[in-house]
Amino acid sequence: AKKTTRNSIAIPMASILGDLPSFDPHNFSQHRPSDPSNPSKMVPTTYHPTHNRTLPPPDQVITTEVKNILIRSFYQRAEEKLRPKRPASEHLVGEHGKKHFRAASSSSYTQGL
Amino acid sequence: MFSSGNVTARVFERQIRTAPRGATVNRARNFYENLVPSFTLYDVECPDHCFRKFTEDGLFLISFSRNHQELIVYRPSWLTYTSDSDDTVPPLPRRASRFDSFFTQLYSVNLASANELICKDFFLYFHTHRFGLFAASTAQIHDSAPSPGAVPGVPSIDKITFILLRLDDGVILDERVFLHDFVNLAYNMGVFLYDDLLAILSLRYQKIHLLQIRDSGHLVDARAIGYFCREDDELFLNSNSQAMMTQDKNKQQSLSGNREDDAENNGLHHSQPNPENSFLSGIKQRLLSFIFREIWNEESDNTLRVQSLKKKFYFHFQDYVDLIIWKVQFLDRHHLLIKFGSVDGGVGRNADHLSAFFAVYNMETTDIVAFYQNSAEDLYQLFEQFSDHFTVSSSSPFMNFVTSHSNSVHALEQLKYMKNKANSFSQFVKKMLVSLPFSCQSQSPSPYFDQSLFRFDEKLISAADRHRQSSDNPIKFISRRQPQTLKFKIKPGPECGSADGRSKKICSFLFHPHLPLAISIQQTLFMPPSVVNIHFRR
Repeated sequence: AKKTTRNSIAIPMASILGDLPSFDPHNFSQHRPSDPSNPSKMVPTTYHPTHNRTLPPPDQVITTEVKNILIRSFYQRAEEKLRPKRPASEHLVGEHGKKHFRAASSSSYTQGL
Repeated sequence: MFSSGNVTARVFERQIRTAPRGATVNRARNFYENLVPSFTLYDVECPDHCFRKFTEDGLFLISFSRNHQELIVYRPSWLTYTSDSDDTVPPLPRRASRFDSFFTQLYSVNLASANELICKDFFLYFHTHRFGLFAASTAQIHDSAPSPGAVPGVPSIDKITFILLRLDDGVILDERVFLHDFVNLAYNMGVFLYDDLLAILSLRYQKIHLLQIRDSGHLVDARAIGYFCREDDELFLNSNSQAMMTQDKNKQQSLSGNREDDAENNGLHHSQPNPENSFLSGIKQRLLSFIFREIWNEESDNTLRVQSLKKKFYFHFQDYVDLIIWKVQFLDRHHLLIKFGSVDGGVGRNADHLSAFFAVYNMETTDIVAFYQNSAEDLYQLFEQFSDHFTVSSSSPFMNFVTSHSNSVHALEQLKYMKNKANSFSQFVKKMLVSLPFSCQSQSPSPYFDQSLFRFDEKLISAADRHRQSSDNPIKFISRRQPQTLKFKIKPGPECGSADGRSKKICSFLFHPHLPLAISIQQTLFMPPSVVNIHFRR
């Protein structure tokens, strides 16, 4: 990111706080209340991106997911099961990097019937 | 969340510092550590009613007359009195020990006619409009005559009436009657309320009736899931069956000579094919096709697929077909969690050892989304992580803070302790999943049951509204914060202990949702007069 800044010197700023009491009289000694005829020339430091990799798509609309997390989990697991099993070599890393309980659940139907 | 335990210091701190994000209610609840129902009035003078429950907003106390025919509603108030004594804690007046010092009767309404009884364990509260749903029924008949569409083995009740009542003034708004049917009414097991949607499970006819509670107080039928899944299924099947009936008549005339052979080969079929019986019910079809597709997709090789199907599906086909719906709950407005099991366990409570299955059903697309057996580790993982989403109470603000093992470290620790102690993990999973689907509004939202504030013996008292064995020792509520001191005690028994130590006593506790007020009711099993104690903060 590029940084644009002015040289930093003691710059008078508009005193929104007014004349508030302070614990130590030397605090705020460099703080001068602004003169409305001479507006502050300070520009706050701004940062601009040097690439556009992180730009959102122009038609992006962000909405809340209607399904709660539990129902989303049910759908997610169902989708995983419906996808046919691939041979082991393609499965070096799990899809989401987490363990699958597939082995346990596929045999669970035959238990106890 | 407060730096001090002292109530005054906490009030000052509250003035200058806001709570952490999203924790305003949790911080407000911390005040319940300081305001506890530590004073007990034993054996108050009170009318002989069956006190059922406080509504979750604390506005009403619901009770039924002893003969189970009338509803009496009270408004919880507070004891007020004047005293000219100089003590810092003035003595209570004599009339403090009366029920009506704490509760004002609002009205008494007759809900059940001559041969009906109100089910005293059934009550649902619709908090937006302050409506209450009650149920009155005639006696249960165990060996009822089989009728078309009914599941054999499920008892029948001649008439079940659901009554919607406006609690503000006791006006009956609407009724819904089920004839010769069976709905599990005890502890709201067969009915689930989500927002304004009501799901009533007819065990006998295997139908899930969906009703909507309108603002005007009318109960409107939305859908009936069971035999038909979509609203227009019935129309479609009827129009088809007309055509089939004429075809069959022609066929039978030509095959009449071979009917005996047919009967020998297909002993199971009726001699006259009935269009109604030739189809499995809609929801059963959805279930079977889902199981089929899941097993099909497990293997990519066709021969393995067929083998797998033979072993896992066709071998158990009749068992799957014979499954009946045991219990239903809403997961959100479009999804239901349905528990299936065999006919034996539908009505009785001791069905824990039987096999059961869970299915997630999408009402809009009429698809089954997921299917698990009751020993499935997958489902247990979801239960452990997202238990709050199972006990969903939609928009009700009071019920969002009930302690569960998904929102409390202490409850989760206890669950994990039980998990490690269990001999067999699949037995543990089965035991835990017995509580699914959850019954609606079965837990008290009182902050005194919040496990992050208090520690108490769950066998003696808990947020679930069930009767318990009464013990002579008081039930202690110990603070979770340092120092872990005893905050208050609830003793349900008479002040000096019971004279007759032998008779079994059961007790139930009704905690007001937000006031430091609780009622404990102790009764011996066979003698009606019960002892009612009031616990409050003096």
